[in-house]
Amino acid sequence: MKIRVDYDLCEGNAVCMKLCPEVFEVGDDDRARVINKNPGEDLRAKVEAAVRRCPRQALAIED
Amino acid sequence: MDALSTATHAGPGARSAALDAINLTDADVYVPGVPHELYKRLRHEAPVFWHTAQADGPGFWAITKYEDLVRISRDPRTFSSARRSALYRETEPEDLANMQLMMLNMDPPKHTRLRGLINKGFTPRMVALLELRIREAATKIIDAVADKGECDFVANIAAELPLQVIAEMMGIPQADRHMIFDWSNQLIGIDDPDYGGSLETGKQVSMQMYMYANQLAVERKDKAGDDLISVLMNAELDGEKLTELEFDLFFLLLAVAGNETTRNLISGGMLALIEHPDERAKLIADPSRIASGVEEMLRWVSPVMHFRRTAMRDVEIRGQKIREGDKVMIYYISANRDEEIFPEPYRFDVGRTPNEHVAFGIGEHFCLGSNLARMEIRVMFEEVLRRLPDIELAGPAARLRSNFINGIKRMPVRFTPERQRSGAGA
Repeated sequence: MKIRVDYDLCEGNAVCMKLCPEVFEVGDDDRARVINKNPGEDLRAKVEAAVRRCPRQALAIED
Repeated sequence: MDALSTATHAGPGARSAALDAINLTDADVYVPGVPHELYKRLRHEAPVFWHTAQADGPGFWAITKYEDLVRISRDPRTFSSARRSALYRETEPEDLANMQLMMLNMDPPKHTRLRGLINKGFTPRMVALLELRIREAATKIIDAVADKGECDFVANIAAELPLQVIAEMMGIPQADRHMIFDWSNQLIGIDDPDYGGSLETGKQVSMQMYMYANQLAVERKDKAGDDLISVLMNAELDGEKLTELEFDLFFLLLAVAGNETTRNLISGGMLALIEHPDERAKLIADPSRIASGVEEMLRWVSPVMHFRRTAMRDVEIRGQKIREGDKVMIYYISANRDEEIFPEPYRFDVGRTPNEHVAFGIGEHFCLGSNLARMEIRVMFEEVLRRLPDIELAGPAARLRSNFINGIKRMPVRFTPERQRSGAGA
């Protein structure tokens, strides 16, 4: 799974980090970073939840 | 309205005649309460519904399903906030250019850049830094009424906190905050005679706010700080600073958005707890559940009931052909009762999980103040439920006459004075 963050939209709401801390981290720069560049299928449900719940819809899965 | 109740067993012809009678735009319809039955009917029978033209505007598509609202919100290139603004009211051509200077009424890429100017002030991290000050403000607010045994919940409790917080963030002197309160009422309540409502009043009030904003800007010019006004004045867009008018309109948006909506959530949330004593008891017994309660209040109240978009091209939703230029109204108040998303949507449940409501919208225009609002509301209910736990209505709540904002103007309440409570046994 490859994950893309649209930095025009990401504002550091950190919903992604809350739902899937294995993959997303929001630091002092208030931007989400993908810390696991190629997560396994076991994380798909959580990643999809993060994509769906991002308030600004800044995330996308690129398979 | 009688036609609706008799149409349930009639054939398709009578049903469509009954649907034609639906009017979501009549502000009087909202005075007794949000017309949930109308929205429910549309979700079930005509989820992409062509609403007939009214005296104040053309026909439009009424979008009542959650999934469709999300789809539309995520696609600003197809569904524009700029073309005819994001508001229900039709804008005169001479006013549209000014409206489009406000972030609410912009599309990407202009929206993206303007939003990027101030969003750093509203991140969860920044808001967390404010918690102490917010709690101090909430404490003082309750202090002022705690021994009186009664008050107007709206004026004395719900309205005060958001006013104080946004004034603090914008560096507006505390002494001026009630001016902002009055102006904001007049702008949002232009449908409601109680607030001196009229479009003319709205224009006059806007002018007064612009003058105030300019004065603040002048005072701040040589003393740049990290308050929002200083940030705005020093901000640059496309290598240029905000014009005076852009600054004024921005101030207007923040002074209204940061004030009215949060106030109405706190009032509406309190009313929901009063009407659902079992749910209130859960929060009193375990204050750690208040955050979850706040999410349910957001879903339940949905203070901003709708926004508007304009189609930029022909597009089809659920088989309905939306034409380029068509007016499209997206109803958050309905999406947040969508039976396909929320089991038992008409049940107020402070423990509701998941609770993926769209009270703050979703996508580009997702509410910039959402984290601040959540903080204010949570802190306020922590204080109210701890210090005035038996608060109850002392008279009926008076609702705002508006098809846009789900608001409460007055809510007389009574409670055991704090001094008496602390004298009682443990």
